Amino acid sequence: MSEAILVGVDLTKTFGELTVVRGASIAVREGEFVSLVGKSGCGKTTLLSILSGLERPTSGRVTIAGKEISGASEDELALFRRENVGFIFQSFNLIPTLSAWENTALPLFPIRMTEAERRRRAAEILDRMELGHRAEHLPAALSGGEKQRVAIARALINNPKIVFADEPTGNLDTATGDAIMAILNRLHREQGMTLLMVTHEPELAKTADRVIRMQDGEVLS
Amino acid sequence: MNLRYVFQELTRQRRRTVMAVFGLSIGIALLVILNAVSLAYHEAARAPLKEIGADITVQRPGNVPEELSGAVFPCSAVTIRRDEIERIGKVHGVRGTGTALLLWVFEPNRAWIVLGIERENPIGPSILRNFVTEGRYLAAGKPEALVEAAYARQFGIKPGDAVSIAGRSFPVVGLIDASHAAKIAVANLYLPLPEAQAIAAASKPLQAVSPFALGDVNLLFIRADQEKINSVASALKGILGDKVAVATPNSFLKLLGSFFAVSDKFTLVASLIAVLIAVLIAFKTMAGNVAERAREIGVLKAVGWTHRNVTLQLLAESVIQCFIAGILGLLIAYAAALALGFMTVNIPIPWEMSPTPHFLPGGGATLYKTLRLPVHIPASLALFAVLLSVVIGGLTGALLSSHISKIKPSEVLRHE
Repeated sequence: MSEAILVGVDLTKTFGELTVVRGASIAVREGEFVSLVGKSGCGKTTLLSILSGLERPTSGRVTIAGKEISGASEDELALFRRENVGFIFQSFNLIPTLSAWENTALPLFPIRMTEAERRRRAAEILDRMELGHRAEHLPAALSGGEKQRVAIARALINNPKIVFADEPTGNLDTATGDAIMAILNRLHREQGMTLLMVTHEPELAKTADRVIRMQDGEVLS
Repeated sequence: MNLRYVFQELTRQRRRTVMAVFGLSIGIALLVILNAVSLAYHEAARAPLKEIGADITVQRPGNVPEELSGAVFPCSAVTIRRDEIERIGKVHGVRGTGTALLLWVFEPNRAWIVLGIERENPIGPSILRNFVTEGRYLAAGKPEALVEAAYARQFGIKPGDAVSIAGRSFPVVGLIDASHAAKIAVANLYLPLPEAQAIAAASKPLQAVSPFALGDVNLLFIRADQEKINSVASALKGILGDKVAVATPNSFLKLLGSFFAVSDKFTLVASLIAVLIAVLIAFKTMAGNVAERAREIGVLKAVGWTHRNVTLQLLAESVIQCFIAGILGLLIAYAAALALGFMTVNIPIPWEMSPTPHFLPGGGATLYKTLRLPVHIPASLALFAVLLSVVIGGLTGALLSSHISKIKPSEVLRHE
């Protein structure tokens, strides 16, 4: 069995008086596809933020690829995310003024490399997403499914060790959502992509290798 | 910083960019044009003196002639002695002097305004040699005369005629059209300075009012270092007394009466207001822009952009936007300067500087030097305006971006 690439131990997050995550512990192995399910407001998105380094826990620790990130500064976390983590958001979060390939290459913009190289890498991933012909289009000209495929391409461009997906089909119709899930499953199966996905839909969660349930900020299984 | 991203942001958010650029460019254009107009008035005020090759003119007011017969001094210009001129020549900042002698000569059937001029001195009325319309200019060492063209027409005087002044006869060798010349020290008859001095020295009515020796004059023209004009003017009062009438470009500027001409402070205050407006417009537009992009900045940070990456990106957008605004502001100012250059400005010449006896036709009328307002934008002002725009962009961008780039991505991405 492969090693755990993501480990969260005894994680708690409070906002003022409100405790959103309570002593949650979680481990994800390399190449594993894990679903984090629970009702709306149960703290799953907050836990995902903590595990991905977007948010610092009030207590507990997070280790990704052997590096503990709980005490890192904002900039250290940003650099860590750039090199190790990919994100797929529910509402795509594409930059409206950048074309599909530019959005895909967004994590590479601060890295010293030629524009041709950025473009080549973005084009390669967009081709894998079957979006090569839409590379020059702005997000406004893309359908919801196409936008999410661009967002997946963006999440993959830095060859992350783990991808975090927060309700990746939440803004899509059923057919499009199924297509996106098919892509994620294919990436997991064919390329061994490690994926932690937050969803409130039990049917989607079942496609994962393992399902972790949350309730009232606590991890149940 | 990624220039492609900067470019796409500025070109694809066209409305936002145009608003920010246009707002700031109006402020910059106002700043440039206000200063250019102020400079133009200053330059216009220098024109009357510049046309006679001087920076300062000096006259000593005296008493009104007791009787109007023969040669007399106008009350605005009595004797300036040769030794005084020599002392003035040594004042620090004086680069050269020119002299002239202005007389009223009353003949039984005619009155003359006579000006004795130094034939060759480029400082002073010898500039009139360029306005000879008929005949020739005065020859060296010859007792001959030039007559003002309008006066010659009125009295039927032609080159080759002789005119009699204070008992002396002078052949008329040329006519001068002084209507387009500097309005300072204009006369009906122009004589070589020594001839005019001889007439003055021999005149009892003149001597009775203000003792005059050969070598003395009553008009002095000074060329001075530009930055020392005021100190030279002060030194003149020390030599010639407090009552001496000293005309400098500032004197003409005050006569112009425009806000721009009267007060450098007005220009300064108006410029500061223009800059302040420009800064506020830039700040407000960019603050709105940055606030709208909080989510975008959260995404940038989520995908691995550091605080510095985000700050530099927003700073570059702001600086480039403001640089474009500076250039556009400058172009607007150039267009406005071109339009304002068609304005004419009338510079009043004080009666004292070109006195015509009041009982002669036009004697009390104010003379004006009319010229196009010389509006131009010096390279230093243009450079300053563009640099100022860039600095505004830099400061505004730095302030806003350093603030907004502290956003935690989880804060803006949490509420999907």
